[in-house]
Amino acid sequence: MRPFSYIVAGSVQEAVAALHEHGRDARVLAGGTDLLVEWRHPGARVPRVVVDISRIESLRDISLEGRDVLLGPLTTHAELIRSGVIRSEAAFLASAASTIGSPQIRNRGTLGGNIMNGAACADTVPPLIALGARVTLSSVDGERDCHLSGFYNKPYTTVANPNELLTQVRFPALPRGTKSAFTKLGRRNALSISRLSVAAVVAVDETGVITDARIVPGAAQTVWKRAMEAEKILIGNPPSVALFAEAGRVVSGVLIRETGRRWSTEYKEPVIAALVRRTLEKCFAVND
Amino acid sequence: MNPTITLSFTLNGRPQRVDVSPNRTLLDLLREEIGLTGTKRGCDVGECGACTVLLDGRAVNSCLVLAPQVAGREVVTVEGLAPLGTLAPLQEAFIHHGAVQCGFCTPGMLMSAKDLLDHSARPPEREIREAIAGNLCRCTGYQQIVEAIEDAARRTHEAR
Amino acid sequence: MDAKKNSIIGNSERRVDAWGKVTGSAKFAADYSLPHQLYGKVLRSGHPHARIVSIDVRQAANLDGVAAVLTANDIPGSRVFGIVVKNQEILAGEKVRYMGDGVALVAASSVEIAEAALGIIDVVYEPLPVVSDPEYAMKEEAPRVHPEGNVFVHHKVRKGNIEKGFASADFVIERTFRTQFVEHSAIEPEAVLAEPAEHGGVRITGSIQNLFSSRRSVAAALNLDLNRVQLVQATLGGSFGGKDEVMTSMCCRAALLVRATGRPVKMVNSREESMLESYKRHPYVMHYRWGARKNGAITAMEIRCIADGGAYASMSPFVTWRSVVQATGPYACENVKTDVYAVYTNNNYTGAMRGFGSPQVNFAIESMMDELGERVGMNPLEVRLRNCFHRGSVTATGQKLDHEVSLREVLQKAADGIGFPEKWKRFREADGGMHRKGVGLACSYRGVSLGAEGADAAEAVVSVQTDGSVIVSSGVTDMGQGAGTQMSQIVAGVFGIPVGKVLFLNTDTNRVADSGPTVASRGTIVGGAAAKNAAEIVRATLLDVAAEMAGTSPRELAMEGGFVVRSADGTRLASFGEVAAECFEKGRPMHGIGWHRSPKTTWDAATGQGDAYFTFVYGANAAEVVVDTETGKVDVVDFVSVHDVGRAINSDAVRGQMIGGVAMGLGYGLLEEFILEEGVPAQLNFDEYLIPTSMDVPPVTTIIVENEDPAGPFGAKSVGEPTNEIAAPAIVNAIFNATEKRITELPANLERVRLGHALRRPGPRGSALKDDGQSLPDLSCKIRPEKL
Ligand SMILES: Cc1cc2nc3c(=O)[nH]c(=O)nc-3n(C[C@H](O)[C@H](O)[C@H](O)COP(=O)(O)OP(=O)(O)OC[C@H]3O[C@@H](n4cnc5c(N)ncnc54)[C@H](O)[C@@H]3O)c2cc1C
Ligand code: FES
Ligand code: FES
Repeated sequence: MRPFSYIVAGSVQEAVAALHEHGRDARVLAGGTDLLVEWRHPGARVPRVVVDISRIESLRDISLEGRDVLLGPLTTHAELIRSGVIRSEAAFLASAASTIGSPQIRNRGTLGGNIMNGAACADTVPPLIALGARVTLSSVDGERDCHLSGFYNKPYTTVANPNELLTQVRFPALPRGTKSAFTKLGRRNALSISRLSVAAVVAVDETGVITDARIVPGAAQTVWKRAMEAEKILIGNPPSVALFAEAGRVVSGVLIRETGRRWSTEYKEPVIAALVRRTLEKCFAVND
Repeated sequence: MNPTITLSFTLNGRPQRVDVSPNRTLLDLLREEIGLTGTKRGCDVGECGACTVLLDGRAVNSCLVLAPQVAGREVVTVEGLAPLGTLAPLQEAFIHHGAVQCGFCTPGMLMSAKDLLDHSARPPEREIREAIAGNLCRCTGYQQIVEAIEDAARRTHEAR
Repeated sequence: MDAKKNSIIGNSERRVDAWGKVTGSAKFAADYSLPHQLYGKVLRSGHPHARIVSIDVRQAANLDGVAAVLTANDIPGSRVFGIVVKNQEILAGEKVRYMGDGVALVAASSVEIAEAALGIIDVVYEPLPVVSDPEYAMKEEAPRVHPEGNVFVHHKVRKGNIEKGFASADFVIERTFRTQFVEHSAIEPEAVLAEPAEHGGVRITGSIQNLFSSRRSVAAALNLDLNRVQLVQATLGGSFGGKDEVMTSMCCRAALLVRATGRPVKMVNSREESMLESYKRHPYVMHYRWGARKNGAITAMEIRCIADGGAYASMSPFVTWRSVVQATGPYACENVKTDVYAVYTNNNYTGAMRGFGSPQVNFAIESMMDELGERVGMNPLEVRLRNCFHRGSVTATGQKLDHEVSLREVLQKAADGIGFPEKWKRFREADGGMHRKGVGLACSYRGVSLGAEGADAAEAVVSVQTDGSVIVSSGVTDMGQGAGTQMSQIVAGVFGIPVGKVLFLNTDTNRVADSGPTVASRGTIVGGAAAKNAAEIVRATLLDVAAEMAGTSPRELAMEGGFVVRSADGTRLASFGEVAAECFEKGRPMHGIGWHRSPKTTWDAATGQGDAYFTFVYGANAAEVVVDTETGKVDVVDFVSVHDVGRAINSDAVRGQMIGGVAMGLGYGLLEEFILEEGVPAQLNFDEYLIPTSMDVPPVTTIIVENEDPAGPFGAKSVGEPTNEIAAPAIVNAIFNATEKRITELPANLERVRLGHALRRPGPRGSALKDDGQSLPDLSCKIRPEKL
C-alpha cells in the first residue's frame, strides 16, 4: 500500500474540514472493507490523505423520527441485522445485510461504505431504493439531501462531491402490513457477491388487491431503478403466482431492452424473471 | 517520507505501544512489527479469514483493518487464547475432534468460533456454520471443526 | 508383531502437531525471519507467449535499498529444471511461455522497495502467437511452445481387439467430457527463508513439499554439491500436490539472491502471485466410446484423452500415466483402446494435484456408467455391480487383482447410506417443481503409491533417547495431512509407548536420505513402512539388552504400556526408559535406519500392459442434491463417503481426509474453475476463484472399510487421494437423477445447470474454453473497480 497521511476525524465538522482542505487528494475511510482491498493493488490510486471517520460516534445511530427511520452511515451490516427497528420497519434491509460477505465483513463493513462505494452488486442499495431512501451529504458549505434513486451515474460513481461526507440515510418506515423481501443469487452460500438480486415491497388492501408495489433488481443494470412497468401490472390486482410471474417477465424484458442482447442474456433473461417472481412470493410467505 | 505514528492499544489483555506507518494493516502490525505470527495471511482481501482477530470482542479480518484504526481498542489474537499455556476449551476441542489438519486456517477459525461462543451459549449447527463461513479451510471439509465448536460450547456451558 | 492387539494403531490419537497449531506457535514458512534479511520479489512475464528482446535492470539496481537485481544471465549453473523433462526455466532467458514465467529477481530491504524496483525494470517483448486450446495445439500449424513440438506425452493401453468388441455390441454410447483448470488453493501461499550457510552453501526453510527434488535444482543452479544445500521443511499450510515445482523455482531464486547478496532473503508469494505462477490441475478433453450389450455388459471401450499440460512438462507424464491405467474405471472389458496425450500450451502449466489424473477420468467413466444403466434399464447401483471388478479380475492393463477387491462392499455401503436405489427411483418419478432432488453414485479403484512411474522407496530414522523418548525423522513429509502423526503412531506401536513420547521432525535434507516425493498418498504406506522398519531395528537391540538385564532370551519378551514385559504373563521387567538408559551404558546403537521399497511393478509402454501398481484401493461416494432448476444452483444436502483403506492407522485422521476430500471434490464438481482467456488468468485471488465454504459442504457420513492389505504397514493402504476423486461424478450423477440433464463439462455451475452449457464470450479461434464465470463487467459485478 502506498504511503499516505492519516487524519482521525473526531466529529463531522473535523471530517468535512479535512475533506475541504484536501479535496480530491483525500478519501474517507469507514470500515475499510472496500478501500483496503482496492489500495493494495499495485496500480491503485491511493489517496494522499486518509480521513478516518470510524470514530465519529454520532454517525452510528439507528433511530426513528416519527415514521422516518434514520441511519448513521457507520452502522455496520451486523448492527443492521441485529437492530429491532430495522427488523420491524424494513425487514428486507436486514435480510439483504445478512447476505453480505461473512461475519467478519459484516462486523466491519458499513452501510455508508456500501452506498458510497456504489458497486453494482452492493446488496443494501436495492432495498434502500425500494424504500425511497434519501441520503444527506455534508460539507463545509452545509448539507444537502439526495434521493438514492438519482444518486448514481454508473457503477462506482455517485453525484457526491469529493468534499462531501455522507452523514445520514433516511427512509419512511414501511406502512404496517406492507411486506418486503430480498432475494440474492450467488455462486455459493456464503462469501458470495450477488450474481443477481431482487428487492421487493408489496402492500395489499382489505379487499385483497395490491395497492403498492416496488421492485428493484440488483447487479443487473448500470444504475439501480425501480421496475415501474412491472410494478404497474401488479397494482390493482389480487396477488397470484401467475401475476408475479408476469411481473418477472416484464422486468426481464425491460432489462434486455435497456442493455441489449448480449452473450450472457441467455442466462439472465429467465433467471431475473424467476427471482422477481420468487421475491414477490416470498413477500407473502410467512415472514422469517 | 512516510512518518510513523505512535499507537496505543490493548493486545491480548496487555497495553501495547508501537510506532507504525499509517499505511500498514493490523495484520502487518501483528506479524511484522510486533512479531506475533500466529495470525496468518492467506489472501489479504478479506476472503480467507486466516487473519481473523477479535477487535473489541468481534471477529474481523485484520488484513482489512488499517493499523491506526485500533488505537485505544482491544485486540485479541490466537496467542491470547491460552496466555499461560493452559488451553482454552475451544483449543482443546479442536485437538480432540481432529479439527486441525495443516493448521493454517486454525488460528482464524478459533477466533471466529470465540466470537460466536462469547455471544451465543449453545448455538445450533447452522449458526456455527454461519459463524465460520468467512474462514476458508481447504483441508477438513469443516465438519470436525463444527463438531469441535459444538463440543466446546457444551463443555463451557456445563462448566458454568 | 500382532497389530490387532496394539492399542496405538487404529486409535484416534491426537495429532502430534496440534498443540502448536491451536496456540499459534506452529511455525509456517512465512513466520520465519532473520536479522538483516532482504525481501525477494519476482518480475513476471506480462505475456502468455513472447520473445524477450532485451531486459534493462540498471535503473532498478540503482534504487535505494535494492541489494541485487538478477536475470537468467546471472545464473552460474543450470538454468532449467524439471522432474521428467528439464525444460522449465528458473528465469526466462529467451522467451516467456506463460503469464507466470519469471524474468527478473530483486532483493531489497523491504517488500515495497522490491516492488518499486520491479516496476522500473525495462523488458522489451516481441509477442508471439498464443496457443491456449489443447486440441488446437495438437495441430501441425499451431504455434510451438517448445521447439520439439506441442505433443509431449502419448500413453497407450491396448487390450483385446477393439473392432471385434464394437462388432459384438448391441449399441454404442459416445460422449465427450471436459474438465477445467483447478487451483490447489492451500490457504498458505508459498514462502521461503534462504540464508548463507557456514560451510559456504545455502540453507532454505520453506513450504516445500518435495525437498529432495528442489534441492537437486538449487544445487545445479548454483553449481554446489548436494551436501552444501540444506532444505528444511517448515510446517506446511496445505499442499495437495501444489508445492512442488513452484517451490523449486522459489528456492532456486531465493538461493541465487543469497549468493548475490550474502544476506538472508525472504520470499513470500501474495495470493495473486501464487495463483499467477503456480501450476494447476490438468483440464482434460475426454472422448469416450463404449460398446455394450443389452444385458449391460461392456464389450469395447475406446478412450481418447487430451490433457492441457500448459507451458511446461512438470508432472504431466506421470499424471496422464495414472489416467491411462485407470481410464476404464473398475469395470471389466475385454477390448480396450486408450490413448492419453499431454500437450503444451501457453496456459499455466499443470502438474500434481490430489487425485493425480484420476478425478478427470473418473468424471467421464462414472457419467458413462450411468448412461449405460439408462440405456439398459438398470439403476446405477445394478449396472455397477454387474460390471465391477472382483478378486481375480484382470484390469485393462492385464493386471490380475489377487487381493480383496471390495468394490461391491463399498458400493453397497454407500448406496445403503444414502437410501439408494429407493430414493433414486422416487426422485426420478417425482414430477417437476422448481427444486428437484436427486441422488448419485460413483466408485473407483486406484493404484496405490507411485506404481510404474518410478522407484518407490523412502527412509526413516528412529533415534531412542536415554530417557526413553524417541525422535523420528522421515524423508516423507507431513503436508498437513497427518503423516507425522501416523508415523509417530507406528513407531509408538512398535515400542509399546505412548505417542506423546515420540517427536516427529519435519523433513530436513541434511538428516535423512532422499526419499522421493510425498505424492500419490504414499505418506503412510511407504513412509510408515520405513518408520516401522527403523523402529524394529532399535527394538531388536533394546530387547537384546533387556534380555541380558533379565537373564532371559529376547524371544520371551515384548514391549507394551511403556514397559518391557515377559510375553508369557505380562510381568513388567523394566520401563522402556530404563532399558534405553542401559542400552546407552552398554554402548549399543540406539538408532535405526529404516528403508522401505515398494514391491516391483511392470509396464510395457508399447502395449500399455503390465502390473501397473502393487495394490489398489476401492471407494464409493453417494451424493444427494437439490437442484434449483430456475437458477441452476445446486446444493449438496447429504453425502456418504466409503473407502477401503486397508487399515486405518488413525481413524480420526482418515475421517478428516475423507471429508476434506469430499469438500474439494464438491468444489471441483460445482464451483471451481481457473479461467484463462488467451493464456491470461481471469482470477487471481479467492474473491473470484471460489472454493467451498462451511455453508456449501454438507455433513458427510464417513464409512471406513478395512480389508487389511499385506503390502502396507499394519495392513494400511493410502487414503489421501481416493477421497477426492469421485465426489464430482457422484454429484453430477445426482443432478441427472434430479433433472434428467447430463452435465458433460465441469464445473456444474449456475449456467451449465440452467442452460446445459457454459456462457461463452465470443472470442478468437484457438482460445481455451470460455465461460462467463464470475467476470462479466456489466452484469455480474466486481467488488473492486480495478483489477490486477
Ligand atoms: C470479502 C468481502 C466480501 C464482500 N461481500 C459483499 C457482499 O456480499 N455484498 C456487498 O454489498 N458488499 C460486499 N463487500 C463489500 C463491502 O464490504 C461493503 O461495500 C461495505 O459495506 C463497505 O463498507 P466499509 O465501511 O467497509 O467501506 P470503506 O471501504 O471504508 O469505504 C468504501 C467507500 O465508501 C466511501 N465512504 C465510506 N463511508 C463514507 C461516508 N460516510 N461518506 C462518504 N464516503 C464514504 C469511502 O471513501 C470508499 O470510497 C464485500 C467485501 C469483502 C472484502
Ligand atoms: S488474509 Fe485476511 S482474510 Fe485472507
Ligand atoms: S486445516 Fe488446512 S486449511 Fe484448514
